[in-house]
Amino acid sequence: MRCTGSARFATSSMSTLSNYETYLILGVLIPFVSFVILMLFGPRLGKPLAGWVAVAAMGASCVLATMTLVGWRGEDSIARMSLAANAAEHQFHWADMGSVAIHIGVKLDSLTVIMFFMVTFISFWIFVFSVGYMAGHSDEVGGKSKYHRFFCYLSLFGFSMLGLVVSSNLLFLFIFWELVGLCSYLLIGFYFDKKFASNAAMKAFITNRVGDFGFIFGLMMVFFFLGTLDLDRAAAVFAEQYHGHTGLFEDGFVLDIFGLELSGMALATAMGIGLFCGAMGKSAQFPLQVWLPDAMAGPTPVSALIHAATMVAAGVYLVARVFRLLTPDAQMFIAVIGCITLTLMALVAIVQTDIKKCLAYSTLSQLGYMIFGLGVGAWIAALFHLMTHAFFKAMMFLGSGQVIEGCHHEQDMRKMGGLMKKMPMTGLTFLVGVLAISGFGIPATQFGLGGFFSKDEILAVAWDRSHMWNEPIGHHDDGGHAGGTATADRVAHGFSRGGHEHVDRSSPPPLKRWATHVELASDQHGGGGHADGPHEADAHGDGVNRAGIAPLPKWMFWCAIITAYVTPFYMMRAWWMTFMGKPRDEQVYEHAHESPLMWVPLVVLAVFTLVSSYWLFRPMLADAAPEATDAVLVVGLDGTAAAVDGAAIHLHAAHRWLAYGVGGSWLIAFVVAFAIYRNGLAVGTRLKSLFGPIATLLERKYYFDEFYGFLFVRGCVVVAHVCRFFDTYVIDMLANLSAKITERFAVFSGRGVDAYIVDGVFNGVAGTAMDISDVVRSPQTGRIRNYVMFAAGGAAIVILLLLFFDGSAGARAALTSMNS
Amino acid sequence: MENSLLTLLVFVPLIGAVVVAVMPKELARVVGLAATIVTFALSLYLIPPFLAGGEASQAVEVFGSAYGEKLHFVERLTWITGGSFTIEYFLGVDGLNMPLLVLTTLVSMLACLASWNFNTWKVTKSIKGYFVLFLLLETGMIGTFVALDFFLFYIFWEVMLLPMYFLIGVWGGARKEYAAIKFFLFTLAGSVLMLVALVAMFFYSGEAVSGEPVASAYRDGVTLTHGTFDLIELATNETIQDYFGSAMFLGARFAPVMFIFLFVGFAVKLPVVPLHTWLPDAHVEAPTPISMILAGVLLKMGGYGFLRMCYPIFPTGGEFWAFLLAVLGVVSILYGALCAMAQTDFKKLVAYSSVSHMGYVLLGIAVMTHTGFQGAMFQMIAHGISSPMCFFLVGVIYDRAHHREINRFGGLWLTMPKYGTMATIGFFASLGLPGLCGFIGEVYVLLGTFEARHTFAWAVPCAILAASGVILTAGYVLWLIQRVYLGPEKPEYAGYPEASGREMAILVPFAAFCLLLGILPKHMLFDYVNGTLEQIVNSVLVATQHATTFAAGL
Repeated sequence: MRCTGSARFATSSMSTLSNYETYLILGVLIPFVSFVILMLFGPRLGKPLAGWVAVAAMGASCVLATMTLVGWRGEDSIARMSLAANAAEHQFHWADMGSVAIHIGVKLDSLTVIMFFMVTFISFWIFVFSVGYMAGHSDEVGGKSKYHRFFCYLSLFGFSMLGLVVSSNLLFLFIFWELVGLCSYLLIGFYFDKKFASNAAMKAFITNRVGDFGFIFGLMMVFFFLGTLDLDRAAAVFAEQYHGHTGLFEDGFVLDIFGLELSGMALATAMGIGLFCGAMGKSAQFPLQVWLPDAMAGPTPVSALIHAATMVAAGVYLVARVFRLLTPDAQMFIAVIGCITLTLMALVAIVQTDIKKCLAYSTLSQLGYMIFGLGVGAWIAALFHLMTHAFFKAMMFLGSGQVIEGCHHEQDMRKMGGLMKKMPMTGLTFLVGVLAISGFGIPATQFGLGGFFSKDEILAVAWDRSHMWNEPIGHHDDGGHAGGTATADRVAHGFSRGGHEHVDRSSPPPLKRWATHVELASDQHGGGGHADGPHEADAHGDGVNRAGIAPLPKWMFWCAIITAYVTPFYMMRAWWMTFMGKPRDEQVYEHAHESPLMWVPLVVLAVFTLVSSYWLFRPMLADAAPEATDAVLVVGLDGTAAAVDGAAIHLHAAHRWLAYGVGGSWLIAFVVAFAIYRNGLAVGTRLKSLFGPIATLLERKYYFDEFYGFLFVRGCVVVAHVCRFFDTYVIDMLANLSAKITERFAVFSGRGVDAYIVDGVFNGVAGTAMDISDVVRSPQTGRIRNYVMFAAGGAAIVILLLLFFDGSAGARAALTSMNS
Repeated sequence: MENSLLTLLVFVPLIGAVVVAVMPKELARVVGLAATIVTFALSLYLIPPFLAGGEASQAVEVFGSAYGEKLHFVERLTWITGGSFTIEYFLGVDGLNMPLLVLTTLVSMLACLASWNFNTWKVTKSIKGYFVLFLLLETGMIGTFVALDFFLFYIFWEVMLLPMYFLIGVWGGARKEYAAIKFFLFTLAGSVLMLVALVAMFFYSGEAVSGEPVASAYRDGVTLTHGTFDLIELATNETIQDYFGSAMFLGARFAPVMFIFLFVGFAVKLPVVPLHTWLPDAHVEAPTPISMILAGVLLKMGGYGFLRMCYPIFPTGGEFWAFLLAVLGVVSILYGALCAMAQTDFKKLVAYSSVSHMGYVLLGIAVMTHTGFQGAMFQMIAHGISSPMCFFLVGVIYDRAHHREINRFGGLWLTMPKYGTMATIGFFASLGLPGLCGFIGEVYVLLGTFEARHTFAWAVPCAILAASGVILTAGYVLWLIQRVYLGPEKPEYAGYPEASGREMAILVPFAAFCLLLGILPKHMLFDYVNGTLEQIVNSVLVATQHATTFAAGL
């Protein structure tokens, strides 16, 4: 089984790299070159130049990414598939694990292309912003300029993040994943002379390690159950095993872990959850969310780049990539985690007064939305949200950076107010971000910002999963799977996609139909009436009722809805407190200013937020979906899709009422925020005292830090000290004690036993142990004697043993042979 | 030179030692360094025969179909013959010891360079003595790795012990006598058991070949058939292997008993908890270069011993003790990490981290899988690079501050930026960050442990527990970095000079190897070792399966 995993790669073909591969590989490597240059010559390049090197490198990557994107959009489905297959051929043989070869390669599909573009584009503008941000004294650590080091780390980050995006192999994804974590550590702790910064850096790294612990375990399971770490290959094997009832899905397959007998299906679920644990760390999902707010200790461009737009999205990207390996139970787990995160963190954001912390909690909440979206199966919508969020959140963070830099490192929104006059560009672009995250749009029209569509789509799918799931959808259950478990049905269902793909590949539908097709995949089985042509429903997949999969608990849907109202409120609150109203601190207000190097990136990102998302990202994602998911629970919503089958009807209906119900949420929440904060902080303060204990609970972030600090950090340190104590006073004492006993025994036996060798040995040992300092006081003056005695003693023991065990003859034989 | 390369390797340091002894003491360190450089250069000649193996399949061919069949640079002379035994001067190199040899010469060279400031040490007596012993130690180490005759191996093993004892005992810190004697007694206790195994294996192999028990043969006045000390013969001769598998000793099965005898000897060196207690003391008291050698090379002898003797010769013993060994491995990983976390002495922390890291070696070997063996081997080399680097990093700051209290440091990255960067690389390599050397070994061992789930029911729990070690490791390493290198600059250290050219000349090669091993594990190591390891694992698996079917047949 394992050997077949590498067989495909053994024939490394002669075909050349396609342009796309070349672009992507170069795009990954250029920031690395910049990293090396800055590492070696950074101090010599000096203050602005070192920064521009990094900017130039990222700019080059961004150009390559744009070329890739533009070219890729021009390719049709067949061309894309052959390009992807071509990319899969070019693999570098990196290492062997046991007898399985590990290859590195580029994973080329629409998701890679679009992610790559997103990362390079946002990174480029954030790098530009950083040059402006670091122009002042922000680059000083302990009074010394660490300017080049900052851009050095940023370049390394660019390299790692892009490597993560293009990796075709889970192990490599993990390696770049950790490198990204390292960059995050180094950049959070950039001001490492400050205790809170180095604490935050450590917290981030270790919390991520907790997640990685699960990730590693997931990797192990993938490796040994599926025999490969290549993403595509693993997914294919997973499907194969299910079909053939082999491997994991063999009848009676059981693994005993701590006396717990796990079946193949449970293991498959555990595998998915294991991989997701990594995402929980990196995307800061409950209960590992504690590090992200603290990570704001890093310079603000870093917060924008790493802790809002790109790195934290890596977790979402990971889940999207391993989507094909997730069982329904694993997905449900993901949905629950996402739901908890999005709700709890949005509530905390309400009470934040630090502008960056407020954005951090909003990031957590939005990441929760994405994870939730993936959990409910809204693959397209979740990634769509990732893209739109990346742009507007990067912009808002940069805006906050502009504010902070302009106000001389004041982060407290209570001291701001009225900054619109001083920083018009910042204020306006920030407003665009607020509108985007709030889901601004005009219901019933096609007008709206990215967040309007992406969030709506997640909610629509959640509604379908929670409320419409058990309704008949117009096809019969063939009974063959009626008695099966929900899980089995889901998987069976999922793998039937293979058949569809086959059909679709032979006659590629236009882009639009692809999207529709995927959305409706769950409902096409047995429907018969679908106009999409013949279905090659396979032996396991036909006639499965989607009702066989557990519906989503209703509370999860309602949590997501309520949070959709909370989000615009806290965002508008933050905006109003910062930019509108009367200045609350004259000193801060007086100093406020903005610089072009910093606001130009803001405007660019704002323009992208305004125009790009729906037309650029969504079709690409819809295109990537069938290949990348291979599952039926992918439901996306295209508002204009023809309602040909059940899900589409449901989703379409959902979209309509959600559009009115939630589409207007931004307006309601804005009004509330305006009402409360219109005249300064007084009303807000009064409200807070009204909700006393709850407000405190939120302000203390549900006491997670205290709880973890006590249980894990202190607990671990206590255990460590116990171990140290044990080591010093038990193990060491035992060693010393045995020396002591030997000594006593020797003194006793030395008089009684007349074998002189034995006597000498024990005296030697005992004497040495007894009075060590005496014996070794001058080791160089001839303690060889001792050594000889030890060696002789060893020989003596051997002979004694042989005497004892083999009878006297054997011993004599030994003696003879030794002496001769 | 082809034919006597190994002899040259072994004796060049010894010649160097003699030259040091006769030259004026001003030249001692020059000659010492020259000798280690020559040795290192010579050791590079070991690599070419291993380069042929590009793909895994080719590598296997290079090493032949049976363990040890394709040894390189073999030198074989009859050395001592006695009544019934022959001790051979039998040297050879295969995938198992080649990387370790290069590691040894590299670490020795860098450690010698680290001894350059001998005159500024606390104990400065007899510089000649120091370098003589240092070079003698190198001879012992190289000899131990190249010897394929057990008796010769044992001699080199003991030769190595003595200089180490003096190097710690004379040039060490405050409690040097205690540390030196502790090191000595622990190792000696282990080698006594090894000696028992040596003698027993000799006689039992004789019995195997002659078909008669030693004792009765002697009683009947028959001339004893010669046994053998040849490690390769012991592992591959089927008659001997069958006999070792079935013979009894002390009323117990021969293989498990011998296995554990050898194991204890090597476990002391590795070190395995609870036999590790000499290590922190030895490290804390030893001068920096000696710590580097101790961590970089001496600990590897334990792992090398397992792979060279325990498993190939007594595969069934390995299976018998697998659970115990794996548990000891896991305990070493976690216990070592926890102890490291509680230390306040910089050097002691690094010492305990060694215990933790070498636990992965033991675990990887104990589960007897391909991946596990590969991981253990990689971990040995990786630790052989990262750990001396960390000890040297401690040494650099100790030379300036004359103390090692972690909590008294702070802000050193600001004071000494280059040194701080090197420290980051070294400690992150130790932490197991991907892209650096520590990661590969750990992940291979964890995967290898998981792989053994069909053979051993406890493999998966062990893998989970061992994997949790990565969190603890991150904890103590980052906490250390925070306390020593981060934070505001402290006035008391503000005037410290940046790492000197010499110090960078030691740190940079280490850092380079950390990166290279982490980025190109296959090309840096696996290509050379996989063939041999595969043969060992296969023979072990065949033997244990054979044993199982044999038992089932009964």
